[in-house]
Amino acid sequence: MKVKFELNGKRVEVETTPHTSLADMLREEIGIQSVKKGCEQGECGACTILVDGLPMTSCIILAPQAEGHHITTLEGLEHNPLMIDLRHAYIENGAIQCGFCTPGMLISSYALLRDNPYPTTEEVKIGIEGNICRCTGFNKIIDAILDAAERIAVE
Amino acid sequence: MNDLDQAKPIIGGTDLIVAIRQAVCSPSHIIDINGIPELNYIKEEGGFIKIGATTTHSQVAGNPLTASTPALYDAVSRIGGPQIRNRGTVTGNIVNASPAADSACPLIVHDAEVEVRSVEATNIIPIEDLFVGPKINCLEPNELVTEIRIPKPPTGSSSAYKRIGRRKAFTLSIVSAAVYLQIEGSICVDAGVAYGSVSTTPLRVPEVEELLRGRELTEENIIEASEVVKEYVKPLTDVRGTAEYRLDMCPVLMRRALQTTLERIRWVR
Repeated sequence: MKVKFELNGKRVEVETTPHTSLADMLREEIGIQSVKKGCEQGECGACTILVDGLPMTSCIILAPQAEGHHITTLEGLEHNPLMIDLRHAYIENGAIQCGFCTPGMLISSYALLRDNPYPTTEEVKIGIEGNICRCTGFNKIIDAILDAAERIAVE
Repeated sequence: MNDLDQAKPIIGGTDLIVAIRQAVCSPSHIIDINGIPELNYIKEEGGFIKIGATTTHSQVAGNPLTASTPALYDAVSRIGGPQIRNRGTVTGNIVNASPAADSACPLIVHDAEVEVRSVEATNIIPIEDLFVGPKINCLEPNELVTEIRIPKPPTGSSSAYKRIGRRKAFTLSIVSAAVYLQIEGSICVDAGVAYGSVSTTPLRVPEVEELLRGRELTEENIIEASEVVKEYVKPLTDVRGTAEYRLDMCPVLMRRALQTTLERIRWVR
């Protein structure tokens, strides 16, 4: 079956099957590599993307359910000013170790700061509670997000 | 759906797709009802707060109407993580009929009803009737829950939902409790009490509701009502916790839920 949707601002049409997950379709059919497959049960957040602007886990969305929606992956935010600040803050705060959780973590961080530019530490924790990192212990990620928030405030 | 008795409707899919992947459930067809825009709403109408079938946890948590149903807000604002709240729906959470469903107990104590529709008929049933057993609901293959309706709570009432889990995000609760109270003067005139993960379904405890009604909610009465709960719940041991631990936590959650509810009522005054 064919699925038509908007991917990172461009209209695409992809041949897939009814039981393919959106994560699989993005990775296998389109070659989007930022979408990572971790738990495949919607619990680890490594496959987080934006569907119509909202973070969701693409492993528990069926590919045909993307029909007519706006899908954004990390690739689509490459030149986004907020994402650039977040990337720098992640690097400078040592918020990346193995990197597997990073794309999903960045998408959640982006949605958090977009909707709440002055988050408290507690709000940051809630914002990324759907993303699991097994390396950093989260502290450096939280520091990075708070740092990015400060960078935006200064700008 | 009348001709496809092995078909399954999908809303958020946050439970259904996981169940399909684990081969717990193998539908012949999947019918996505997200394409029905008329089912996406939360509104006040005719003395009810009404929640359409495709309305997500985030949409419910973000709507000012949930200020009058704080227990439901407690549940949906912290269910899963942001990604699940943006995708999953309150209706999906209840039709999935997990004994641990976070939105079930708050809806029970608020005396919610659900609208069940098929091609032939539309019925309104109390939400408790939806829960038949663990992950078993009362729906026929051709029936859909299209709306949840909660009677608009009167002034002097409030509610709270408390849970115990291994961590805050994503975990199924080991045990959870919802309480609803309506207070006049210092007397409790109406009460709702329900527990999650202590039975095969989310469980209302009418005996404790009866005990609370007509009483002043003093510290002693709160402790008494909290302890009495243990006589009416029969929790089981599973991977998340033992029956003994669950039983011991029932009064603790009840006390916390009663105290938060009372604080909320006083705060509104």
